[in-house]
Amino acid sequence: MNITKNDLKKVDEYTWKIPKSYRSDMRVPALVYATESMLDEILRDRSVEQLVNVATLPGIKKAAIVMPDAHEGYGFPIGGVAATLYPDGVISPGGIGYDINCGVRLLRSKLTLEELKPHLEKLSKHLFREIPSGVGHAGSLKLGMGKLDEVLSEGAHRLVKEGYGEEIDTHFIESYGVLKNADPSAVSDHAKKRGHDQLGTMGAGNHFVEIDRVDEIFDEKIAHAFGLSVNQIVVLIHTGSRGLGHQVATDYIRLMNQAMARYHISVPDRELACAPFSSEEGRNYFNAMAAAANFAFANRQMITYEIRKVWENILGGAGGKLSVLYDVAHNIAKVEEHTVNGRQEKVIVHRKGATRAFPPYHPELVGEYQKVGQPVIIPGSMGTASYVLVGTTKGKESFYSTCHGAGRRMSRHHAKKEIQGKQLLLNLEKEGIRIETGSVTDLSEEAPLAYKDIEDVVNVVDKIGLAKKVARLRPIVVVKG
Amino acid sequence: MKSYEIIPHVADVRLQAKGASLDQLFENALEGMNRILCKDYDRFLNKHLFAKEIAITAYDTTSLLIDFLSEVLTLSHIHKAIFYSIDRLEIYGNSLNARILGVKIEKFMEDIKAVTYHEAEVRKNDEGQYETMIVFDI
Repeated sequence: MNITKNDLKKVDEYTWKIPKSYRSDMRVPALVYATESMLDEILRDRSVEQLVNVATLPGIKKAAIVMPDAHEGYGFPIGGVAATLYPDGVISPGGIGYDINCGVRLLRSKLTLEELKPHLEKLSKHLFREIPSGVGHAGSLKLGMGKLDEVLSEGAHRLVKEGYGEEIDTHFIESYGVLKNADPSAVSDHAKKRGHDQLGTMGAGNHFVEIDRVDEIFDEKIAHAFGLSVNQIVVLIHTGSRGLGHQVATDYIRLMNQAMARYHISVPDRELACAPFSSEEGRNYFNAMAAAANFAFANRQMITYEIRKVWENILGGAGGKLSVLYDVAHNIAKVEEHTVNGRQEKVIVHRKGATRAFPPYHPELVGEYQKVGQPVIIPGSMGTASYVLVGTTKGKESFYSTCHGAGRRMSRHHAKKEIQGKQLLLNLEKEGIRIETGSVTDLSEEAPLAYKDIEDVVNVVDKIGLAKKVARLRPIVVVKG
Repeated sequence: MKSYEIIPHVADVRLQAKGASLDQLFENALEGMNRILCKDYDRFLNKHLFAKEIAITAYDTTSLLIDFLSEVLTLSHIHKAIFYSIDRLEIYGNSLNARILGVKIEKFMEDIKAVTYHEAEVRKNDEGQYETMIVFDI
C-alpha cells in the first residue's frame, strides 16, 4: 500500500507523524522531519514505507525517525534513527548500513584562501596522487592479520601509536576514536582480507577529500570555540570502513536472517534482519560493528596523515598545522542514555545516514566542547556547500541525532544523462572549484543536481533546533573518490 | 530476450535476472553482477585462470541466490578477480556446492559494496521461468 500525504499528520511546519494505528504491526509512531515540499519529494520513493517498517522492530522506543535528507535505502531509510531498549531490544545491522562508520572529519588550518591560492594547483594534484581513490585501489599501508587486529581493537589510537598522527587527534573524534567493545574475533576472515590493504583509501562514489573555505559564520561564539573564522581554509574528509565494513554487514545480515526464527522475530523486509542485543548474535554483531567502526576511525586518521604529509611537502613551515576539529560517524549504533517518556533509559541508537549531535555539558563530550556542544559536520554534494552545526538540548527529541548530508534524489545513470562530466567540470571550474578525479566521465554521477539542496536540509534541522548552524564551508578543491 | 537486465535506481543498481531453471537463474544473475563490476571483463580471459569452491546453506531459495552472489562478490574483492563461469553447480534444497572459475582483472568499474536481500524474491513467472530482482549497494 502506497503511503500518501493523507496518511501523515502535520505536527508543526517541519514535523510529520504517522500514528501507530496506521499499521497493526507498528510498535511506535513514525516521524518525518521535512518541509511540505521536501515531504512531497520524499514520498516519491519508499523511504516513508521503510520508516513504518522500522517502527515494527521489537523493543523500539518513542518513534522511528527520519531526517530531511531521507531517501530509500535497504530495510531502513537513509536518514533513519531508531532507538531500541537495552539490552533486550533488537540490534539490526541494516540500521547501520553496509558502510559502517561512514563519517566525516574536519581539519582546521591557520591559512586563509589568499595565502593558499598560489599553491592550490600543486596541492590538489599531490593530494590526488597521495590518497588512493576509486574502486579497488590499495593503500600504501598493508597490514598483516596481527596488526589489522590491533587496528580493529584500538581504532585511531593504533595509528597514532604507529606514528600516523598525534595523541591530541583522538580527543576530537566521536568516542575518542575507539569503540572499546570491539572484538576482532567477531570479524570474519573474509572481512579482514577485504580490508587489510585499504587503510588510507577513500573508496569511490560520494567519498571525497575537499579543501574548503569558511564562507559564512552563523554563530560567532561557537565558531570561535571551534576555532573557525571567515575565509579560513579547512580540509574535509568523507569516507568509512571500506570493504571490511561492507563484509561485516553482509556477514551479519545473513546470520541474523537465519537466526530470527529462533527468537520468534519476523520483520517485513529481510534487510531489517535483527536479533536481541543480548543474544549471542546481537552481541557478536555489536562487537564486530565496533571493530569495523574502529577501522573507519583509523582510515580517516591515515588519510589525515597523508594530507598532512602533502601539506608539509608543498607549503613547508608556512602551511602551519592541520588540527582535527572533529570526526563524527553517520552510520553507526551506540548504547546511550536518553530520556524516553520522562524516564532515563539505556537504549541502542541506530543511526543510518544520521549524525550524533550531543548538547552542551553532555558527559560523553570532550572538555574543549563541553560549554558549546558537539560539532556536527554535514558534507554537501560535490561542488556545493558543507556545514558545521552544533548539538543542542532540543536534540533530545531525536535521540540527539541530526541529518548527515544532502541526500540523493536522482540515480547516477539519470545524472549522467542530464549532464556530461566534461561540462560539469567546466561549470565547477567557473565557480572556482578544482576537481581531481580518476574519471571525468563518471564525475556527473555525483553532480549537485543528483542531490537535494543541502541548504534546505540543514535549514530544517536548524529551524527545529535538532542542531544549530555554526558555519558554512565552500569547496575550492575536491579530490573525488 | 536477455537473461538479465541492469536497471538504474536512485542510490543503487538493480538487476532483473531470469532463467529457465534455477541453475540458469544463478548463472545469469552472476553474469549480470559481473557486467556491473567490469563490463568488458572478456578481454582478460586469455590470462591466468583459477578456480574456487563454494558451499552455502541458506534458509530458502532466494537467500541461497543472494548468499551465493555475496560469496562470489567477496571472492572477487579479495582476489581482484571476476568469476566469469560456474564450472559445477549442485543445488539441493536450500544448499549448494559450486566450483567457479575466475580471472584477475586490472580494475573494477563499479564498487559493489554488497548484494542485498532488498526486493529479492525468486519466483516462477507466467512463462514458467524463474526470476527475481536483485539490488546491489554501490
